[in-house]
This record gives sequence, C-alpha cells and structure tokens, in this order.
Amino acid sequence: MAELQIKATVNGRKISRSAQPSQRLLDFIRDDLNLTGNKEGCGAGECGTCSVFVDGVLMKSCLLPVAKAQGTQIDTIESLAKTGELSVLQKAFHKAGASQCGYCIPGMVMAATAALRSNPFADREEIKERLGGNICRCTGYQKIFDAVELARDVQNGRLPATMLDGIDAEQGDYIGKNVSRIDAPSKVSGKLKYAGDMLMPDMLHVHVLRSPHAHARILSIDTSAAQAMEGVEGVITSADVPGEDGFGVFVHDQPVMARDKVRYVGEAVAAVAAEDPLIARRAAAAIKVVYEPLPAVFSAEDALRPGAPVVHAYAPDNITKHIPIRVGDVEAGLAESDLVIEENYETQAIEHAYLEPEAGLAYVDHDGVVVVISPSQNITHHRHMLAKIIAKPIAKVRFIMSPVGGGFGGKEDMIYQGMLALLAMKTGRPVRLVFTREESIASTAKRHPSKTTLRMGLMRDGRIRAVAFRMIADGGAYGLSTEGVMRKAAILGAGPYVIPNLQMDTIGVYTNNTPSGAFRSFGALQTQFATESHLDIACERLGLDPFEIRRINMMRDGATTHTKQKLKSVSIGRVLDAAEKASGWEKGVSGQRNGRGDLNGEGLRPAVALGARFVGDTKQEAAE
Amino acid sequence: MARMRGRGMAACWYGIARTATVDRAAAWAEIDDGGSAKIVTGVTEIGEGILTVLAQIAAHEMGLKPEDVVIGDNDTARAPEAAHAGATRQTYMIGNVVALASREARGKLVEVLAKMWEVEPSTIRTGNGFVWAENTNHKITMGKAVECCKQRGVVPVGSATFGTDTTGLDGTDGAGRPWQAYVFGCQVAEVEVDTVTGEVQVLGMWAAHDVGRAVNPKGVEGQIEGGIVQAIGQALMEDYELSNGHTTTPGFAKYILPTSLDVPMMNSIIVEDPDPIGPLGVKGIGEPAMVPTIPAIMNAIYDAVGVRITSLPATPEKVLMAIREKQQRENQMAVQAAE
Repeated sequence: MAELQIKATVNGRKISRSAQPSQRLLDFIRDDLNLTGNKEGCGAGECGTCSVFVDGVLMKSCLLPVAKAQGTQIDTIESLAKTGELSVLQKAFHKAGASQCGYCIPGMVMAATAALRSNPFADREEIKERLGGNICRCTGYQKIFDAVELARDVQNGRLPATMLDGIDAEQGDYIGKNVSRIDAPSKVSGKLKYAGDMLMPDMLHVHVLRSPHAHARILSIDTSAAQAMEGVEGVITSADVPGEDGFGVFVHDQPVMARDKVRYVGEAVAAVAAEDPLIARRAAAAIKVVYEPLPAVFSAEDALRPGAPVVHAYAPDNITKHIPIRVGDVEAGLAESDLVIEENYETQAIEHAYLEPEAGLAYVDHDGVVVVISPSQNITHHRHMLAKIIAKPIAKVRFIMSPVGGGFGGKEDMIYQGMLALLAMKTGRPVRLVFTREESIASTAKRHPSKTTLRMGLMRDGRIRAVAFRMIADGGAYGLSTEGVMRKAAILGAGPYVIPNLQMDTIGVYTNNTPSGAFRSFGALQTQFATESHLDIACERLGLDPFEIRRINMMRDGATTHTKQKLKSVSIGRVLDAAEKASGWEKGVSGQRNGRGDLNGEGLRPAVALGARFVGDTKQEAAE
Repeated sequence: MARMRGRGMAACWYGIARTATVDRAAAWAEIDDGGSAKIVTGVTEIGEGILTVLAQIAAHEMGLKPEDVVIGDNDTARAPEAAHAGATRQTYMIGNVVALASREARGKLVEVLAKMWEVEPSTIRTGNGFVWAENTNHKITMGKAVECCKQRGVVPVGSATFGTDTTGLDGTDGAGRPWQAYVFGCQVAEVEVDTVTGEVQVLGMWAAHDVGRAVNPKGVEGQIEGGIVQAIGQALMEDYELSNGHTTTPGFAKYILPTSLDVPMMNSIIVEDPDPIGPLGVKGIGEPAMVPTIPAIMNAIYDAVGVRITSLPATPEKVLMAIREKQQRENQMAVQAAE
C-alpha cells in the first residue's frame, strides 16, 4: 500500500511525516514520534491507557487508523506539562496518591482532564461515569476519584492551591506521614520509561511462535524459510540452549522454549529477531513445526485419575506438590463434635491483568555480560537460572529491573527473558520483545483454580473441635510457584483460630491448562474463602453473630499456630473490634439481623450510596 | 422485592516475607554531598510505593528530607541482593535493612561531629537536613556536616543485612516456623442484590488491618483499596476460561475487570501492632488486603437474599439461579405444609 504523508499538529508543533496506512495512531505517536507517555494496554479500546485528544476530543489512539490524524490537532499526555510544571490535575494525582504502578495513569489523567473540561463541576458520581472507559488494576480507583475532586475544587477556587503541596514533617519524623509518592511526577507526566518504551541503537524486534496444541509431541521444527527471509537476524528453538534448560520458582521444569513436546496452548516453541516487528511476525509464521497431538488432561480431578495422560515424566501421578498439616486426631475430633458441617468450595482461574503487558530488552555488553532489562519481580533468582541456561558464570549475567507496570505475582516467572538473552547472544545485537495483550493472557500464569472439601466439627457453644480440609488445585502445565502456593494455602487455610484437631491437605496438580503461578494472596485467598464462608454457615446453624464465632475461636497472644509455632502478639481481636466499630455492625445471626430497612434511623450508620449513578444536571446546580 | 441489602464479614491472617525458608535482604547507604543521600538496594517499585517508603525511612533515620534521598536502580550487577518484589516482604525486609544501613551511615557522621564539637555522640540529633548537639549552640546543615566528615577523611556510608529466623515445614505434619511476623485483618462488606437480575453491587467495605507500623498511611490505604477491588473482580466477574486448553477469554472484551463503576465506598482502618523483631516495627499489607474481601461479600449476599454462593465468581446468572432454587424449595415446603 502507498505510504501516507501525515500532516498534523502534535502537542502544539506542526509535523509532516510519512506513515504506513496499516499503522494505528498509537503506533505513529509512540514508534514514529517517540512520544511514549501514552501506553498500549490492550490494543482493543478496552483499557484506555492510550487515550489522547484529537481536536480536543478524548480518543483511544489504538482504535484510530493513522490516516484519521490527517490535519488534526493531537495532544498526548506530554502536552499537559509541556512547560515543565504539572497541571493542576497532575498535581492532584500526585497529592492524592492516585498513581501506583502508573501504567494506566497517562490515560487516566487524559480522561480526567476531559471530564473536568466537559463539566468543571462534575460530582463524584459523574467523575466515576466519565472514567468508566479506563481500567486501573492497582489503586481500586478511590484515590483517583479523590484526585479529580481535589483538582476540580482547586480549579474552581473552592480550595486553595496550597492543598496540592507536599508535607513537611516537624522534627524530621517521616515515618507515619503521608509523604507524596516520589515516583508520581514521572508517572502522571508519562515521563517514566517502562521496558516497552525503551529503545536501543540497532535494536531488533522479537516475535515468539507459540503452540496451538495443549499437548503434543514435536516431531520436527524447520526454521530454514524463516532464516532465509530478508531482515531476519536470528531464529532460535530449544536446540539453541547451551546449558541446563529449565526455569521455575520451585522446580525448574519449564524449558525456555518447548523441548520435545508442548504442554499448553500458548507455550513458546521458537522465537525470531528481525529488523522490524512485522518481519519478525511473518518469519515466525514461516517456521514449520510438525506436531503429533497427544491425549491431554484439562482438570485436576482428571489428572489424578489412574491412567490419566502424564504431563511430566518426573511426576507420573501428575502431582506437583502435596502439603500436609496434622494436629491432633481429626476423626476423633469430628466424632465428639455437637455439629459437623460439610461443604464444597470452588474458585476460578484469574488473570493478573496488570496494565503493562510483558516486555523486555537484552544485549551483550563490551565485557561479554549478557544483560536483560525487564519488569521482573525477581531478578535475583532469574540471574541464577539464566546463568545455568546459557552456561555462563553468574558474573556474566546481569538483570536490570525496569519499572513494573503492575505485577501481582505475575511477573515472578522468567517466562520470556531466556529467549531474549539467547537472541541477543545469537545476533550480537540488542533485542526487544513486547507482548500483545492476547499473548500475555494466553501464555502467562494465572491464579490457581481450586476445589475444596471442608468438614468442620463444632461444639454447641461455637468452639471449633476439628477441621478436615482438602484442596485440589490446577497448577497447569508447569510448576512455576505451585509448590509455594500449596504451602501458603495449607499453613493459613484454617484461619487464625484455635483448632485442636486439624487435617489439612493441599495438592497442586499438573494439567495441560495455562500454568498457574504466583498471584497476590498466593493460596491463602482460596483456602480462607472456604473457611470464612464455612464459619458463617456455622453461625446460622448455631445462632451466633459472625464476629462472635470468630472471637470464640480466635488465637490469642502466645497462641500456637497450626504448624506448631508459638506466636507472641496476636492482633486478630483488635482488628475484629476495629472493623465492627467502624462499620457500625448490627449484631445478629446472618440473614436474620434487623436494620436493613431503616438505614438512616437514629443510632444507625447512614446508608451507603450506590456507586456510579449520577443523574441530573450538576453543572446547572453548581452554577446556581 | 427487587433490591435487597445485606452485610457480611470475614477475617484473615497472613505471613510476612518468604514462606518456610530463610529470607534476607541487604542495602548500602551513603550520606552524600549537599546533605542528600544514596540508597542502593535490589528493589524497584512494582506500584506499591516502596520507593517512597524507603525514602521516608532513610530520611527519618539519617535526618534528611525524603526528596533528598536518591534510590539506586535494581540491578544484579550494581546493587546488593534484596531479592524479589513479592510475598508482602518489601516494607518488612527492605524497609528494615535500609533503616539499619542508614543508621550505620549516620553513626559515621555523628562520630566525626562528636569529636569536632567535643560532645557525647548520644547528644547529637539529626532531622530535616540539620545536625545539632543538644544543649549547645552547635547546629549545622547536613551538607556542611558531610563536608566536615570529608575534610577529616571520612565518607559517611553504611551497609546492612537483615535475615529471618524461619524454618521449612516438616514433611509429615507440617510443623515449622514459616514466618517471624504475622498480620491479621477483618473486613465488612455491604452489598445490594438485585433479585430480578441477580446482579450484585458492593456498596461499602470497611477494612481493618494490622500492618505493624504504617510508614505511609495513604500508601497503606492504597494497597487496601486496590486489594479490595481486585478481590471484587474475583468475587463477582472475573473468570479465565478454557475450552480444551484454548482460552475463550483472550482479551479485555471477554475477560471482565472491575471499572470505576464497580467501586464501593472503601473505609480503611489501620491497626498497628508493632513487630518486635525488626528495627522499625513495620510488617506489611500487600497481599492480606484482598484475603477477607471475597468471603465477606459472599456472607453479605447470604445476609441479603439467603443464598450461599460457594463457587466463584458470583455472577448474576449464578445468583439468580440460587435465588430461584431457594424460592422453589420454599414454595414446595409451603405446599407440603398446606397439605
């Protein structure tokens, strides 16, 4: 297709540049103009981090063909603090603590700027509606709403501009103070460079070929057509790994690229480094892989059945890790209980959905040190593993942690850094890989889906006598953090309660599903969901208030845990009191408590407003 | 009967830093020219605010302002090991070790000034960029103090390491000491359930968490609020689905995440039960923040409409089905009672 000549005004400057018709406005801004403040989060108009103004209108630049920019005025996040001074809204984001990882923030600031331009008197509910097209995974949005309200009030003169200033602690006591985040100015202005924003001279672009099969033997890989393509500088497969090919957090069972067989859909099979991303993608498509599909297993229960397909030869029973905890005699404890409650619980797989998809760069430096720059949550461990994989001493491997656009455990796995290192070594040039959102979702770890059977024996007065707890979790195709997740699930699952007889089993299982791995709350979420739901069922059966049953059973100072560790101070009683008091809790048995009808009655807490239902013309009201 | 409200609660506990293994971290500190400071440690922000927390701790310990603290990049070839950004360990492991390294650097500076002013080192105070000796007229800026040190051939630096006294678990009964610091939390959820559509809206959350000692209360709130909203996602809408190993939720159009319209009013209550082992008393908040949210919401749904959702997520379809089944059961019982 013919090239376009784009003439536009970008951040107040006239530009005239050639562009490919296939480019999106986002590519043009980020790749051609090197304005990397606005990010790509999803490439599908869902997350909003690429939001810019086109002729003053908020637009998602990933949805706009570059041709639409012809003759327009485009303003990116870089336009807001052009003089070096942050806008009122950016200052308010800084002051309110509205940025965390910062990756969504450029788009969020643009959307909030648009909101206050549309209605300088927008109330909180309207602000929520107007930010509804922007996803943030870190903050929970509340501090973002606070920031927009603060900016609105300063702009309208209702609050003095000094409200945006930082704090000065008297006596230099800075612990316990709301010091404004030191990294926030770089995030609200879009200046912070994440790995996908970084460039190196002479840099190549990487594309990964991924498995279309859940379980298949690799009969052959023919890379000759890809290698022969113009612009292709290097193609790698597992044959290019010089050392011990394995990574993982606890067991190193995952090869850098599939070796002999693939175990899940989306597993890396080969990778290409080329002069531009399009050539890399075309070359990857030209790699011929012959697969022999194998019977696959898609649930943890099926994987535990005798005769199930074996995912890893070293684990013929498909068990990644089983963690047992034993206290007392659980069957005797259940037998002597007044009441035994049994229930099953299920939790689903969850995607981390950090707004920054995986990205990284690698190069070999002047001393022959292999350097990898990526938003890895664990560079210390990664360098140990990579040193073995590329058969170099640890001093010849260097990992640099780039700013992380959200992790939540999902960036603890060395899922792509090995390929980057191998391609940098093979081509002798810097290489960069940026995942698409689809690639990130399909190929990286999830929260372990789980199935739990819980039997709890209680006495009539609410005391727990015995707990038998068994959780089976689908760890997917590779070990990653499964062992640790099972351990934390087991140690914490029965809750901070005195339980004289406990039998706890957590079992992580291999399947041919997307691997499960580390995810914020790491097994404790799945198991404590079951226990805390179960306690409320017990309340209903025993006629107890939910706070009361927890107080009856809670560990106290000096308690012994389920793993027989003696604790000193135990604060569960304090947090129960604090939550009960702050929420204005109405005592009573679940489902039978009164107080739902008269939420505004005397002595009762006020009704909570239902979120995001702004009605009426607030602009009009404010003007009056 | 269209919209019913209910409240539920749940408690939690959590261990701080790596589990059932010895955790460790190291840091270097230097009080630099002009009264600024350098902290070098293997840590980088993953969004939680650790850089600000470390700057506050270093400023507090060395007598500077947080904006005068420069924190070096996390680089395995340039910074001492501080290991991974996870396991609710950064404030505890790295915060504590930065405090120790900062104290050592300050000690070097104080030693020089005590000799220069002929006072006891214990009478020297530092704060907000100044150094002074109690009950004297001696007071200089930190920049001047560093100059004095350097004229006497001393660069005020410190280094420290911090490790945990923990063990693995016994393979048979699980006995062991997995962590040296534990935190506890409790959350109350208020929900509204639409009995026509099955839709659940979380209206309010009250979250009380013990964090040991809050270095930056607003940052703690940010962790709690972010944790709650992620947990609302898992409780009500998020579901990574597979069909024969192929995902059917490949992008954000299919994989539904909480947006600003799903956010309840969140109230954080910070409880401080200081850790007796570390030098600062800090513990952590990242992961425990989202542990009690889901059961609190499920217990609130039960309180509102009398159905118990035991399989996540509590989608409108699932809630509606449970409500209908409950009504059918009640109708049958009524019919039986009438007969």
